[in-house]
Amino acid sequence: MEVLSQVEIAFWPALADSKKADLEAMPKGYIDAALINGAIRTQENLEMVRLLREKSKLIVAYGACAHLGGIPSLANLYGREELLKAAFGDGWRPGPPPGAPQEDAPPELLPKALPLAQAVPVDYTVPGCPPPAGLIGEFFSAFLSGEMPPPGHVFAKVKALCEECPRTREERVLKKIVRPHEIVPDPEACLLDQGIICLGPVTRGGCSAACPSAGMPCTGCLGPTPKAGDMGLSMVSALASLVRAGEEGEAAIPSENEILDQLVDPIGTLYKYGVPDMPCAKEGEG
Amino acid sequence: MYPEGITHHPSPITRSRIGVFVCHCGHNIAGTVDVERVAEELSRYPGVVYSTHYEYMCSDPGQELVKRAIKEHRLTGVVVAACSPSMHEATFRTAAEEAGLNPFLVEIANVREHCSWVHPRSPETTAKAIRIARAVVEKVKGNHPLEPVRVGHAEKCLVIGGGIAGIQAALDVAEAGYEVLLVERSPTIGGHMAQLSETFPTLDCSQCILTPKMVEVARHERIRLLTYSEVEEVSGFVGNYHVRIRKKPTYVDPDKCNLCGECEKVCPVRVPNEFDRGLSQRAAIYIPFPQAVPSSYTLDEEACLGLEPLRCSECARVCEVGAIDYDMQEEIIEEDVGAIILATGYELYPVENMAEYGAGRVPDVIDSLTFERLLSASGPTGGEVRRPSDGKVPKEVVFIQCSGSRDPELHKPYCSKICCMYTAKHALLYRHLVPDGKAYVFYIDIRAGGKDYEEFVARAMEEERVLYLRGKVAKVFREGDKVMVWGVDTLTGKRVEIAADLVVLAQAIVPSPGVRTLAQVLHTSCLDEHGFLKEAHPKLRPLETLTGGVFIAGAAQGPKDIPEAVAQASGAAAKAVALLSSPAIVHSPEVAQVDEELCSGCGVCAPQCPYSAITVEEVAEVNEVLCEGCGTCVAACPSGAMSLRNLADEQVEAMVQAVLEEVAGG
Amino acid sequence: MADFEPKVVAFLCRWCAYAGADLAGTSRLQYPPNVVPIRVPCSGRVEPSWVVDALQKGADGVLIGGCHPGDCHYVSGNYKARRRVYLLKKILPELGIAPERVRLEWVSATEGKRFAQVVADFVEELRALGPMKVMSEG
Ligand code: SF4
Ligand code: SF4
Ligand code: FES
Repeated sequence: MEVLSQVEIAFWPALADSKKADLEAMPKGYIDAALINGAIRTQENLEMVRLLREKSKLIVAYGACAHLGGIPSLANLYGREELLKAAFGDGWRPGPPPGAPQEDAPPELLPKALPLAQAVPVDYTVPGCPPPAGLIGEFFSAFLSGEMPPPGHVFAKVKALCEECPRTREERVLKKIVRPHEIVPDPEACLLDQGIICLGPVTRGGCSAACPSAGMPCTGCLGPTPKAGDMGLSMVSALASLVRAGEEGEAAIPSENEILDQLVDPIGTLYKYGVPDMPCAKEGEG
Repeated sequence: MYPEGITHHPSPITRSRIGVFVCHCGHNIAGTVDVERVAEELSRYPGVVYSTHYEYMCSDPGQELVKRAIKEHRLTGVVVAACSPSMHEATFRTAAEEAGLNPFLVEIANVREHCSWVHPRSPETTAKAIRIARAVVEKVKGNHPLEPVRVGHAEKCLVIGGGIAGIQAALDVAEAGYEVLLVERSPTIGGHMAQLSETFPTLDCSQCILTPKMVEVARHERIRLLTYSEVEEVSGFVGNYHVRIRKKPTYVDPDKCNLCGECEKVCPVRVPNEFDRGLSQRAAIYIPFPQAVPSSYTLDEEACLGLEPLRCSECARVCEVGAIDYDMQEEIIEEDVGAIILATGYELYPVENMAEYGAGRVPDVIDSLTFERLLSASGPTGGEVRRPSDGKVPKEVVFIQCSGSRDPELHKPYCSKICCMYTAKHALLYRHLVPDGKAYVFYIDIRAGGKDYEEFVARAMEEERVLYLRGKVAKVFREGDKVMVWGVDTLTGKRVEIAADLVVLAQAIVPSPGVRTLAQVLHTSCLDEHGFLKEAHPKLRPLETLTGGVFIAGAAQGPKDIPEAVAQASGAAAKAVALLSSPAIVHSPEVAQVDEELCSGCGVCAPQCPYSAITVEEVAEVNEVLCEGCGTCVAACPSGAMSLRNLADEQVEAMVQAVLEEVAGG
Repeated sequence: MADFEPKVVAFLCRWCAYAGADLAGTSRLQYPPNVVPIRVPCSGRVEPSWVVDALQKGADGVLIGGCHPGDCHYVSGNYKARRRVYLLKKILPELGIAPERVRLEWVSATEGKRFAQVVADFVEELRALGPMKVMSEG
């Protein structure tokens, strides 16, 4: 689809040399649609998207980071102080590098990396990491034809990925959990049935199951289906339900735990594109 | 704080008009909970349009109060803050229904058992009551009016297995007025009981008490007997099973056959007779035993010299009534049945597995059913005890109990339950038949729990001088024409060596092999680890399987003796009749349901259901009649497509919110 | 933290744990009022997300009560609940939540005493743990 010929680029920092001042100069609602990618991590990000919100009729969260917080939001599992300490070492104080003027100070870090919708009202979402071409196309054809779905729409399927996955599901039990590189998966069979943690059952479809078709499990980049709630917790429930070490009963408990213990890095596996909004301080290890 | 995002546009909230009724229960609630305050607080809770308190809500005036409020305030839901729902949920639901409110819109907030009775009078106790009531208000707000699920059912019962349990079940169901289909694999009904000589502890002749029942089955107008038949396919669900039965050809028309037996005489074939456990031979055309039902010969196709092409046809030549028909074809019978009773019985653990007792190698080491045939007056030896190897009357017989049972290392870990008793019977009957013979019994301990059982064992020991040796047999081997038995008497610590003439092994009871295929046919995981049929609940539902409308009778569920098998059969029959006689199958509507728009068919739900209520094709489908509403699949469903009626996630989340919200002054 | 009163949400299966709580009532056993029960058909209905949701909304602890192994009214719901809680507890620390805030207990309908004891112990433990901390803005 030829898009560029049908739109005028008002602001594109990545391509054109667009400056904040240019944006400030625009009248309210000047931009028809702002496609914003990336999580909101700094005070500067926040100011920028607020400004964009003011100048744009539609705000579109574009890509997994804007949609869900993305990988940057994994840092939300730690407090800001902790993060700064990890990045810059003890004793670091916010401010410009020694001898540099104040405006050279790194932008202030927000307490958390936010998905776009937690920073400004979002009208539409084009999800994915990266967004699949088909879904981008869907958005533009709706946008250019003026026939947009009701606000809030996510340009992806409502059903989970399994629906469009070509792999066949047989015995729905989890007798082991393996990492993708540990086995050569059967080319036909469902990856989950083979012990590979595939987030297909909880993730929106819309990518034609590109990853599972290529032998890699779905990692959830299109985000949860509308009623899935918290992706990771839904998968915790599903995976734990599927685990079987022989007939269920007290005797099977140790071997069931063994299987569950095979899930390495559960957070990284189940929340690759955004951790839940946990309002709690780290107390687990304390 | 950051501005709120609008990723989701909330659906319009339906207007609730909830009434809250706080009960004092005399002093039981009002003594520690400030009921007035609860009613007051709740009246201000969103969605509540009416709130009151009353001395005894469950009393007639109390119920009237609820009914009146439903009508006057056009309530869309009722919360009664009172005692446990196990007490009066039904009471208030009925009352509401009388006032025109769907009963599923009524819920109980348990402020007595869970609050007023377990905490002292204090603001905290009142606050807790308020939290409980608020949470239930939230639940009712999310409830939907529901109607019980009703489905019709077939009025026929399928009984699988024609042993004593199957016979009893079939007779009971038929007597209650329902059609019965009794399917038996072998050419006759009767099962193992027909092989027994006498039964413990009364020593009735087994066949004498069994055959009248067999005849009754044959004659019963509501029983259709299908012997030499197997259930091939079962589809459907409780009340509505469709079954496919394959009936093998017997090549003899049972209506014409007059049991003259001429055919058997001319038949050139001889094969071991299974009914006599191989102690005798039979022809290819045979009747298992004279009183077999149906009363007819059967041509054993496998033993016959050949039917296609016809190789011999001697039997047809001599049959005066022309009962033999070599062109008889197998028959497929399809029927709709409402209930299924599984009575597939047991087998003995194969004696060949007992190498430690010389079984399989030493001809005079036999199993217990073989010994029954040696004792039986109608058996191959005409009721004289003669050993297989040389036909001599054995003068020293060793009985070994628990052979293959209670041996988790090598054999079966469980107790086969009936061996102690039949071994006592064997020893006693042997002593009757061979008064100068000596009987020894090796045992681990004697389990004689049953009416007159203990006395029976005592009689064998004392009156018949059977020598009971507590201990294990170490070795059994052949020496000349003797069977040497070496063991230890653990009570005296002495070694025992017996030069026996015959050794009888009280073999473990195992489920009959057909039950495994049957479980597959029924699409249920209804077998326990040993292959016996598994009951739906070990204590409370011992006659049912987890598959609705499928019941269990007899030794298929586990080793049991005749009276127990018969009692269980009658119990299963009563269960089946209860189902068949109900006008419709009524089932709670609070079951799982699938949102087809959301379901991706990922299939995580199906294996979670203990009742196999879920099938997954394109999307998952829940059979409302089979679903018991546990919600396990709902919690497993990763995409939120499965929900439980009237306990959706949104309801629980609202309830949690209500519980945690501050209570002023609490 | 002497006057910190932990708030606890309890999901109790109707056949065992809820009935056990009923019996505690009938027997007039006394236990702390911090726990508010929510009746569920089976512990197998309880979703890990409910637990986290409750903690996020301000509960200091979540109790899940089910039937003893082998006694689940629906045969095996409690085994699923057990595995889910096991896995949930493995990730809770990484989400910044002390796993001790979540308890799965088997309480039969005849164990009123045990129910009261479980509640008392849990409340005591939560009291020692302190309130659920909300990540500070700094
Ligand atoms: S491989 Fe993944 S997406 Fe495909 S069916 Fe299995 S779980 Fe679903
Ligand atoms: S709610 Fe329970 S009984 Fe019903 S379909 Fe789901 S798992 Fe089966
Ligand atoms: S019914 Fe109590 S845990 Fe399942």
